[in-house]
Amino acid sequence: MAQQHGIIVLFDVENALRTRSLDGNTYWFDNMKLLGSVGVGTEQLVTIVPGTHFLDGSQATEQVLNWLPAALGSIPPTVPRNYLAEQERADDRRTLEELAALGSAGSVSDADLKRLQRRVGKRARKSGSGRGLTEAKLLDVTGKTTTSPGAYNYPAPVITDITGQAVSEKIMYPAQYGSPDMIYDGWYWAATVDTSRPGVYPYTMHVQLHELVEQDDELVWQSVDLTCQSSLKIINDPKRNGFTGAGLGVLPLPSVPAAG
Amino acid sequence: MKDRISIVVMVDAVGALSDRTLHNGNLSLVDDSSAGSRHQGTPDLVTVVVPGQVVQWTPIHVDVQTPVEIKAIEFLSGAAAQPPADQTVPAYPVEPSTVPAPAAVSGEGVDATGSNGHENYDLLVWEGVVPYDMTPGVPYRYRISLQLHEGPNSVLHIDSPALLRV
Repeated sequence: MAQQHGIIVLFDVENALRTRSLDGNTYWFDNMKLLGSVGVGTEQLVTIVPGTHFLDGSQATEQVLNWLPAALGSIPPTVPRNYLAEQERADDRRTLEELAALGSAGSVSDADLKRLQRRVGKRARKSGSGRGLTEAKLLDVTGKTTTSPGAYNYPAPVITDITGQAVSEKIMYPAQYGSPDMIYDGWYWAATVDTSRPGVYPYTMHVQLHELVEQDDELVWQSVDLTCQSSLKIINDPKRNGFTGAGLGVLPLPSVPAAG
Repeated sequence: MKDRISIVVMVDAVGALSDRTLHNGNLSLVDDSSAGSRHQGTPDLVTVVVPGQVVQWTPIHVDVQTPVEIKAIEFLSGAAAQPPADQTVPAYPVEPSTVPAPAAVSGEGVDATGSNGHENYDLLVWEGVVPYDMTPGVPYRYRISLQLHEGPNSVLHIDSPALLRV
């Protein structure tokens, strides 16, 4: 039974935002090197899709692709999706407790207040255009609140579409699916592949990154839409019987079976 | 009588590779024979068959992104050969991929190379007709070898399942 393809796309978000391009800022990795994917770990990944057909010509194996985006220098995608909210709440609770303790102690120093102010952190708002992230505090890669614009953690890149020759020629049928998976925010892109037309077919991935900009004395997450390319290599081979090498035959039983 | 019997080979590839064995619950065999097969869900499945039926083996991996294919199915012969003399017995239950099945009736050797030159056992269909000269009441044990990804430790096998004509 054929395995499903996993294709990890790792983005250097900081560099991509600076250059406003994904050229040189993506790293593609799939699990099909054993069957002939080339360029694994680079920007030039060609994912092998080994199709099979029965002797009557019908497609024998369904090939499924799954894309998993990840960002360099971010909080790892493997933490639960409510991690950021939890961290934020825990931080607020600690701050409030310390504030209460300061009040009861009587004398409040400036230094104490400054420290707590830092702890409260900064909050980045949604951009006015509507598309983007929900309002949240800025957290650094360790999940702590930060006020430093250089230390924050980039939100994970979001795949917004998959287009290009492989799609327009109906080689693959990509779609976004919802799932109870906690790692990729409950949404992931997957596709099934028509393996009946061998060849190399490029496709374009549309990605939304988020940049923190200062706007009217506020920090705002602004979306930046970019694209990058990869390709599929479709091959197709006939299925054959494992015992005969051709069609159906009699099972190769011994004249005397082993004792046991 | 059914025309066709399916034997499904369920494999936990990650478990099997880290344990280096298909035992320890890493493999489970189930069939749909209506004639009273024994040990369903274990590596010791005895499938009850009738001559003329087609038996088909299908691998299923519990993790959809792990590669699990059947590399070979070989029926074990009673005229058993001795294992090679230089073979050392390891302290842990390793199932070396290089040891041939004892006096097996070959089911191996069918070419599984794809058009791009890579071996792909997904190309093989494991099915065959139960012959009329099969002796009733005697289990015909077979070795099923599984290919889990690639590399020197990627092939594991068990010798315990069997077909039985009633």
